[in-house]
Amino acid sequence: MAAPVKSDKEIAAEFTSYYLQRATKEFAEDLDKVRAADDFKNDAVQILVSALQQGTALFSPEEQRRIVTAADRPESKS
Amino acid sequence: MGKRFSRGPDGLGAPRKKQKVVHEAPTSEEVHASRQLQQLLAPTQDPARARHGLQSFKLFLDELLSSDPPNGDRIQILKGYLQSAKPADSDGDENLVYLPDIMQTWSYAGQTNNDNLMSAVPVVLALLLKLLSQSLDTVPYGLGICRTLLQKRQLELVARNLSADKGKAFIISPTLRMLKEAVSFDGGAIARPLFRARGFTLKSLARNIGIVHIGDEAEDTKRPSARTNAILFFLAAIKFLQPEAKKELLSQRDIVAALTRDVKQDPPYLLRELLSGLRNHVLLDEKVPREAKASLLTTSTLVRLSALYQYRSDAPADDEQSIADIAHEFLMTACTNPACGVLRQDSGFYPRGTDPNAPVPTVELEDLGLESIVWMNSFKAEVPVRNYTLANFLPNLRPWSSVKQSELITSVFRVAPELVAHYFLSNKSFTFEPKLSATWIGYAAFLFNTVTLPIPDHFCRASSFAELPPPTSIVIDNILPPPLNQKALARSLAQKSSMISFFATRILVVAIEKLDAAIKMHQDPSHSYKTVWAEAARRLVDEFCQRSPGVQDMINAYRAIPEGDVLHREAASRLLRLCYEVLPQVALMAKFDVSPLLETSLGRLSKQEVGDPRDVALSLKELENLLAIAGCSPGMRWFAASEGLSLSPFTMLLKVCVEAPYGVVLGTIREVLNFVAVEQQLVPAHDGHPGLVVLLEALQTLRQTHPDSADHVWAFLDNCLTRCANAPLKYVEKMQEMRQEVTETASQDVSESVVVSAVTIAMLEQLPFLATKPEGQAVLRALGIFLPKYLGFSATARESRPLLGFVFSKMAVHLVDNKGKLAKRGIPDGLQFTYHPWPPAEEPRPRAIRDLATEPEGGMRAEVFMDAEALKGMLSLPDGLEADHSALMRWSSKTADELVDEGYVTSLVALLVSEHTSIRKEALVNILKAATKIKQSEYEEKEQVWLLLSELGETARDKIHDGPLPSPIVAFACHALKVLRDPLSSLYPKVNAFLLHGPFWSLDRLPLVDEILSEDPVVGDAYYTQISWLLSYLIDGLRTPGDLELFHKKRAKGPLFERILTLAANPYMRLPLRTQLLRMLYRATSIDGGSTTLTTRFGIVNWLEAREAACTDAGEKAVYRELRRRIWETSDQDRVRGWSKGGIEG
Repeated sequence: MAAPVKSDKEIAAEFTSYYLQRATKEFAEDLDKVRAADDFKNDAVQILVSALQQGTALFSPEEQRRIVTAADRPESKS
Repeated sequence: MGKRFSRGPDGLGAPRKKQKVVHEAPTSEEVHASRQLQQLLAPTQDPARARHGLQSFKLFLDELLSSDPPNGDRIQILKGYLQSAKPADSDGDENLVYLPDIMQTWSYAGQTNNDNLMSAVPVVLALLLKLLSQSLDTVPYGLGICRTLLQKRQLELVARNLSADKGKAFIISPTLRMLKEAVSFDGGAIARPLFRARGFTLKSLARNIGIVHIGDEAEDTKRPSARTNAILFFLAAIKFLQPEAKKELLSQRDIVAALTRDVKQDPPYLLRELLSGLRNHVLLDEKVPREAKASLLTTSTLVRLSALYQYRSDAPADDEQSIADIAHEFLMTACTNPACGVLRQDSGFYPRGTDPNAPVPTVELEDLGLESIVWMNSFKAEVPVRNYTLANFLPNLRPWSSVKQSELITSVFRVAPELVAHYFLSNKSFTFEPKLSATWIGYAAFLFNTVTLPIPDHFCRASSFAELPPPTSIVIDNILPPPLNQKALARSLAQKSSMISFFATRILVVAIEKLDAAIKMHQDPSHSYKTVWAEAARRLVDEFCQRSPGVQDMINAYRAIPEGDVLHREAASRLLRLCYEVLPQVALMAKFDVSPLLETSLGRLSKQEVGDPRDVALSLKELENLLAIAGCSPGMRWFAASEGLSLSPFTMLLKVCVEAPYGVVLGTIREVLNFVAVEQQLVPAHDGHPGLVVLLEALQTLRQTHPDSADHVWAFLDNCLTRCANAPLKYVEKMQEMRQEVTETASQDVSESVVVSAVTIAMLEQLPFLATKPEGQAVLRALGIFLPKYLGFSATARESRPLLGFVFSKMAVHLVDNKGKLAKRGIPDGLQFTYHPWPPAEEPRPRAIRDLATEPEGGMRAEVFMDAEALKGMLSLPDGLEADHSALMRWSSKTADELVDEGYVTSLVALLVSEHTSIRKEALVNILKAATKIKQSEYEEKEQVWLLLSELGETARDKIHDGPLPSPIVAFACHALKVLRDPLSSLYPKVNAFLLHGPFWSLDRLPLVDEILSEDPVVGDAYYTQISWLLSYLIDGLRTPGDLELFHKKRAKGPLFERILTLAANPYMRLPLRTQLLRMLYRATSIDGGSTTLTTRFGIVNWLEAREAACTDAGEKAVYRELRRRIWETSDQDRVRGWSKGGIEG
C-alpha cells in the first residue's frame, strides 16, 4: 500500500533535520573548534543551529521532497 | 582623626539628607465594630492616635483583602463605617466629601508636615479603593472617595505627597498606588477628570519614575520601588485614558524618557506589565494617532528596550515567555508595523530625494546614458533615508550575537529596504574577515538573511517600474552588502576550515540568485528607456564581479572539498552552476575543466558508495549541477574516459540513470544525455524520434529482467558510443550503404527519411571483435538478450523496420545463438514504452542547454527554398580591400586620431594590393609617412600603430615591385589596426605579441591563424570572438588565385581550409559563426578555380552534404544545398566528374 503523501510542512521539518545532521557530520571538527572559542556563550548554540539550518533555503520544496523521500522509497526492483 | 566637613555632591543640602528618618512603628488594635472604626479614625490633633487609628484600619483592610472569600462580618463592619462616613446626599453636589475624618487627618498631617501621617492616609485609601472595586455594591462608595480626591484640597495634598523628597518613597509610593487604584476604578470612570487635574495628579511623575530600587538584591515584589509604582500608575492611566488624553500624556517627553531609562534593572513582573501595557494600549491602539506613538518610540526608547535582549534576571515559568522574547516581540511590532509610527513608507531602492520619474531629455539619455541621471552615482558613500529613527536605532543592535536581533534587523530591512545600504555604509567597523568563532558565524548568518531578502516590487514598491533605473550602488549593496567584499569572500572561500568556506559559498549562491532576479527586472520589456536600463544592468554585473571572488576561487574551493562532504559539494557545485548560468562571460574566463569532477561524481554514484539514500539524492543534485556546467562549457569531453575510469562520462551517466536505485527523479540527467546524444549524432535528430530514450529504455528493461547481463554490456556499449561520437558520419554513411543494400536485395523501398540510429550501426560494426576477447562470450550472451530488445524499441520508435531486420540478421551471426533460435525470432514486435518526442514540447530543458539549443536562428528559418540570388545576398561580402586611390591624397590633412579611427590609414594599406606598381609604391611611402606622423602625435596607441605600419612597410618594401602584396597579409594589417585601437579587445595581447616577433612578416604564413585556432584564447571566453575576427580577416584576404593558394597550401597542421572546415564540427558554434564560415566558402567559389580546388582537395561536396544532414533547421539545410549547387556550377565540371568518377553530378 502506498504511504500517505507527506505535507510540505512535514517534508520541510524532515529536511531541516537531515540538513542539520548532515552539516554537523561534515563540519564536526570545525564545530568543536567553535565551541572552544572565547565568544561561545549565551546564545551561541542557538546562533550556530540557526546559521547552519538557514541553508535549507537553498533548496526548493520540490528538491527537499526529492531528497527526503529518497529514504522512503523501496529498493529498486532489481 | 581630623575634622572633616562632608560636602557631598548635593552641597549644602547634603547634611540635611543625612538626618535619619526614624519610622516608629505605629500601634494598632483589632477592629470589631463600625463604631469602633469611626472612633479610631475620628480627627485628632494627636499624631500618635491618628496613626494608631489609620494603622488599625490598614490591618483591617489588609486582612479583608487577603482572605478569600472575605469575611462577611468584617465587610459589614466596613460598610457600616462607610455608610456613616458618607456625606448626606444633597443634590449630587460635586463637593461632597467622603471619609471626611480621614481627609481631615491628611490635611492636618500636611499642615504639620507629619510624614508618617501623610504616608498612612494614601496607604489606607489605596487599600480601600482596591477592596471597594471588587464588589459592585461598594462601587458607589469608591467612586465617592475618588471624586473626593479630585477636590482641590485633596489634589493639593496628592501633589504635595508626590513631590515629596526623593528619599521619601514611603510617601510617594502609596500615593501613586492610590492614584493607580483611582484611575482604574470602575473601568476608568474618573480617568478623564483625573487626567484633567494632571497639574496635581501627574506632579513629579517623571522624577518619581526615576526613583529606582537601590541595593544589590533584586527588588522585593512586596515592597515595590517608587519607580515600579509610578510605572504601574502610568500604565493604568494609559489603559483607561481617551486617545486624545493618551496623546497628551505621551507627548510629555520627560515622562516617556523616564519610562525606559532604567529598564534594565526593572523586576521581571514590571517589565511584563510595561511591555504588554505599551503594546496593547499604545502600539496596537488604532485610535491613538501615529505621531503620539512616534513620540513614545524614539530612537532612545528603542535602544533602551533593545537592552532587554540581554536581560537575564528573570526565571520564566515553562508556560511563560522570557523578558527577552517579550521585548523582541515588542520591538518587532514597533519597528515593522507601519501603524506604530516608527516605520515610514520608503521607495525601495530609490533613496530619499530622488525622483525616478523625473523627465530627462531623451537626447541626453541617448548620448550620456546613465551619466545623464544626476543622482545615479550619488549614493556610494551615504544614503539619505526616510526612516531616520530606525536608521539610528539599528546600529545599536548586535545581530552577530543574537538570533533575535538579527531577525529584528532583517525584518526591518524587509519592510524598509532603503535601510540596507544605509546600515552597511554607516557601520563599517564590523568586517567579514573570516575567523572560526561564534561571532563570525552569527555575522555570516545575518548577512545571509540580508542577502536573501526579496528585491522590492519594481525596485520602488510600486505597481510598475519607474522611468529610470535605481542607483546601481544601492542595488549592489542589497545583493552583496559592503562587508561582503572580494577580499573577505575570497579569503573565506580559501579557508582551511570547511565550515567558513561553506558559509561563504551559501551567501554567494543566494547573492547570485538575487543578482539574476535584479538583472531580469532590468530587462523587463515594459521599460521605456530600455538602453538606460540595459546599461544599468551591465554596470550591476560589473559591480558584482568587483565584489564577488573570482570564479577561479570558487573552483579551487570546490576542488578542496572532501569527497564525502556531499552537502558542501552540492552547495559549491550549485554556486558554480549559477556562475555559468547568470554570469557566463565571467565564468568562461576561468580555466575549469568540469570533466574530472563530473567523472568523480559519476564514479562515486555508479559505485553506490554512498550509504544513506538521502545522501545519494544530494549527490545527484551535485551531479545535476555539474551537468549543467558541462552543458555550458564547450570543453566538456563527453566521450573520453580519463585515466582510472573504465567508461566515458557519457556512458557513466547513462549507467547512473539506468541503475538509479531509488527511483529518484532523473529528468534533468536524462535530458542532458539526450541533448548530447542528438548533438553528437548518436541518435537521429528527427522530429518525433525519442532520441536516446530508446537505448535507455532497453537498458532499463534488461536490468530489470536480467540484472547480471546488464553489467556485461557497459564496456561494449561505451566502445560503440565513443566510436560513433568520434566519427558519426562514418556510421551514417554505412547506414546509407545498408539502406541501399536492403532496397536492392530485398527489393523493399526504404525511404531516405526513415533511418536507424548511428549507434546501432556502430554496435553492428563492433560485434565481431567481441568474440576474440576473453570475456567476449559472456558479453555476447548478454547482448543476445539486449540487442533484440533494443532493436525492438527502435522499431517502436518508428525507425526503419526492414533496415533494423537487416541489421539484426547480421548481428545474429556473431551472437551466441543456439540452433539459430535468435535469428529466427528476429526483432520482437510491439515493445511499448512512453516517451516524449525530442525536443520535448512541454518540459523545459535545463537552462544552460536551453540557451544553447534555442539560439535565435536569424532570418533563415523561413527561407526553405533558396535561389542563387538569395544565397548571394546572404553569403557574398563586398571586397574589403577595394582600392580607393583618393586615399593617397586625403590622409595628409588629418590628425593622428582621424587617421587611425576613421580608417584613412586602412584605406592606404589596402592600396598595397593594387595591380599598379606605382600606386603600391606611392601607398608604401604614404604609409610610412603616416606612421611617422602618428608616432609624433599624442595618439594613445601610437607606438603599436607605428610598429604595425613600419613592419608592414618592411614586409612590403621589396615585394611590391614584383606584384601586389598577398591579400591575407594586407587584410590582416587592416584588421589588426582595428584591434590596436581598442585595448579591451580580446585580441589585443595576441596582435601585440605578433608585432613583437620580428621586424617583418613572412609572406607565406598567415598571421595569427595558429595562435587563434590552436592556442588558448588568453582572455577567458574569447575563443569564439577571436574565431569570428579571424574569419572576417580571412574572408577579406581571399581575393585572388594567389591568395587561394595560401589557403590550401600544405602546412604542418594541415591546410588552412581544412582547419577552418573542421571548425564546423564544433556543435557549440553558433549560427553567425557558421554563416561566416560559409561566406568564406562562397568567396572561394568566386575565385577562378576555387570551387574545383574545394571539391577535389577538400571534399567540400561531402562536407556540405554532411552538414545538411546534421542540421535540423530547414532554412539552414537550404543554404547548404544551394551552396553545393553553386560549387558545382562554378567548378571545372569535367575535372570534378572525372575526379569523382561520376559520383558528383550537378
